[in-house]
Amino acid sequence: MKNFFDLFKRHPKPNPAPDPAMQALLGMLSMTEEQELSCDDVFALLDQFAELIQRGEDASQLMPMVQKHLNMCPDCREEYETLLQMMRTSSKDENQHS
Amino acid sequence: MPERDNQTWIKNLQTRGADRDAALADLYATLLQVLPRALTRWLSTGDPALETLVEDVAQETLLRVLDKLDTFEGRSQFTTWVYKIAVRIALTELRRERWKDFSLDEMTENSDGAAGLDFVQDGEAGPESAAEQRDTLQHLQRILSEELTDKQRQALMAVGVQGMPLEEVAWRMGTNRNALYKLMHDARLRLKHRLEQEGLPIEELLVMFNR
Repeated sequence: MKNFFDLFKRHPKPNPAPDPAMQALLGMLSMTEEQELSCDDVFALLDQFAELIQRGEDASQLMPMVQKHLNMCPDCREEYETLLQMMRTSSKDENQHS
Repeated sequence: MPERDNQTWIKNLQTRGADRDAALADLYATLLQVLPRALTRWLSTGDPALETLVEDVAQETLLRVLDKLDTFEGRSQFTTWVYKIAVRIALTELRRERWKDFSLDEMTENSDGAAGLDFVQDGEAGPESAAEQRDTLQHLQRILSEELTDKQRQALMAVGVQGMPLEEVAWRMGTNRNALYKLMHDARLRLKHRLEQEGLPIEELLVMFNR
């Protein structure tokens, strides 16, 4: 399979975008911290973090390292978003039944 | 489902008997109800695969909940904790299915056929900035080859550029997601420090490449 970025090399005109690989790398570096939580650390805190969000509290202020990990890690972010979706669905169902 | 507080959930689930059976049945029913709508970005509601997946995930979740019950610290609602476990199980399965035909080598091979990051100069840049970009790109390529291992370059390319899940990359590399995140964090830190040492502020590079 050809590398996606080779396409840019072979067809540099008429309007190639700035290098997406470089943008992605620099984006990651700009968010890099000396100390970061691991995926396991974040998983342990994810339910608390999601409940803060659901209550409308400033979770990124209260748990900044979790927020930073979620900004960096696509897997954890996807799990967080799915968890939030489950909580919203669940709470909507409860409200309908009450 | 009868309302239970955290203590009641734990009490019901700790000991075999009718209370535990009822609690498990309630959790199972809740998962069957809540999971499908949370997974619509992966599978559409009419897809028979969704129903099978949800049932499998719900069963696996209950087993894991019973196994991990003593690790629940009561810092969230019990059901949120259960949902979190279900999400991990479901997305692990969905990622595996979605990425099963992708090879890590193919996803991360650069134009030289080697593993790593491959950069392209911006064809729209004017002559001066084009020359500056070319020099900077060469400089960055050298830093990348000097600072990172093949594995680190491959991981950054696969996850950061190609959008592969860490879990899938880790599996293909014979490691786990937690260790892969650490490997990538080490790589990012090395690059960040080296750029600082060389007087290349990331903010300025972002401006240069994000016109």
